[in-house]
Amino acid sequence: MILAACSLALAGCSPQLPSALGGDPENGRLLLRQFGCGSCHEIPEVAAARGKVGPPLAGIARRVYLGGVLPNTPENMAAFIRAPHRADPRTAMPDLGVTEAHARDMVAYLYTLE
Amino acid sequence: MRLAWLIALLGLSAVAGGAAFIRSGLYDISATDQHLPPVYWAIEMAMKYSVERRGRRVQVPPLGAPEQVARGLALYRVHCAQCHGAPGVAPEPFALGMTPLPAPMVQTGREWPAEQIFWVVKHGIKMTGMPAWEFRLSEADLWAVVAAVQRLPSYSPEEYRRLTSGRVERADTPAESYQPDVDRGKAALRQYACVGCHEIPGITGPAARVGPPLAGIASRQTLGGVLPNSPENMTLWIRTPQKVAPLTAMPGLGVTERDARDIAAYLATLK
Repeated sequence: MILAACSLALAGCSPQLPSALGGDPENGRLLLRQFGCGSCHEIPEVAAARGKVGPPLAGIARRVYLGGVLPNTPENMAAFIRAPHRADPRTAMPDLGVTEAHARDMVAYLYTLE
Repeated sequence: MRLAWLIALLGLSAVAGGAAFIRSGLYDISATDQHLPPVYWAIEMAMKYSVERRGRRVQVPPLGAPEQVARGLALYRVHCAQCHGAPGVAPEPFALGMTPLPAPMVQTGREWPAEQIFWVVKHGIKMTGMPAWEFRLSEADLWAVVAAVQRLPSYSPEEYRRLTSGRVERADTPAESYQPDVDRGKAALRQYACVGCHEIPGITGPAARVGPPLAGIASRQTLGGVLPNSPENMTLWIRTPQKVAPLTAMPGLGVTERDARDIAAYLATLK
């Protein structure tokens, strides 16, 4: 009975899954533009994001590793965005002073890129 | 005219039926489900004639010098006996669970001509456990393995044990001043299983998402997040990623200098 109710509830909710880390994906998309992420990465639906310094971020939600070093989880992605050198001291990705709240929104958007 | 329509209709319904059969999941892909005898026969024949045809183009060098057989036996023990067994040696448990079963080389060595053994060892066989050794063994070592396989049926278990007690070092291809070969690089990308982790344009493989896709890698500026992209750095990165980036998940795959340069040449075409 409970199971049935849960699955019904889940089925009803499926188009509106909770976003990764509870962030705001739309705001995240705008932030990716504002922090200039697109000058190094190609990012779908982000204006002028056609950089070729780092890898393209299409499909990043399903990629297995971040920066080649961290297992891809929302928490690790936020940590990597905020302090890339803590994950890999040699990485070419710079620290852009992203706050925790902003990182959470960026992750919410990037996790929509299946 | 009516006949043409009928044939077209039959062809179309065969394709649709095949697609429906695939989509239904009725086909049992498990290794424990044995092939029906006619299916087994058809696959076996397709393999046999394919190898026969391609073997005709192989030039067989003189085989059987004692040093060559010794080298071949040492390689056989390290690379082949796990699946194919040897006189008095059973295959490893994983090999016993394979479908198709790896053939016992004591029989193949008696029945197959050298050029066909060579062709299979070098190129491997699709949809079986038989890998291609072209990118792992030099041409001379491939022939040494053929020479050993041909001798295998003549050894008693006791002789085989005595002859394979030595150790084997990997022979590396020397890095001459070498003009990279794009097509060879493309083949090497499959042969070193790069396509298991990266999506690579021009190479058929699984939807791999372990590392980043390599489309456009030629115009990307950084390798592995750490190294400026150049032909030399690409070769270095492919050969020793964990020396370049100690924390990287990308493993070193024992890529030779020549193979790495060929791979880099192919990747340089992915603009």
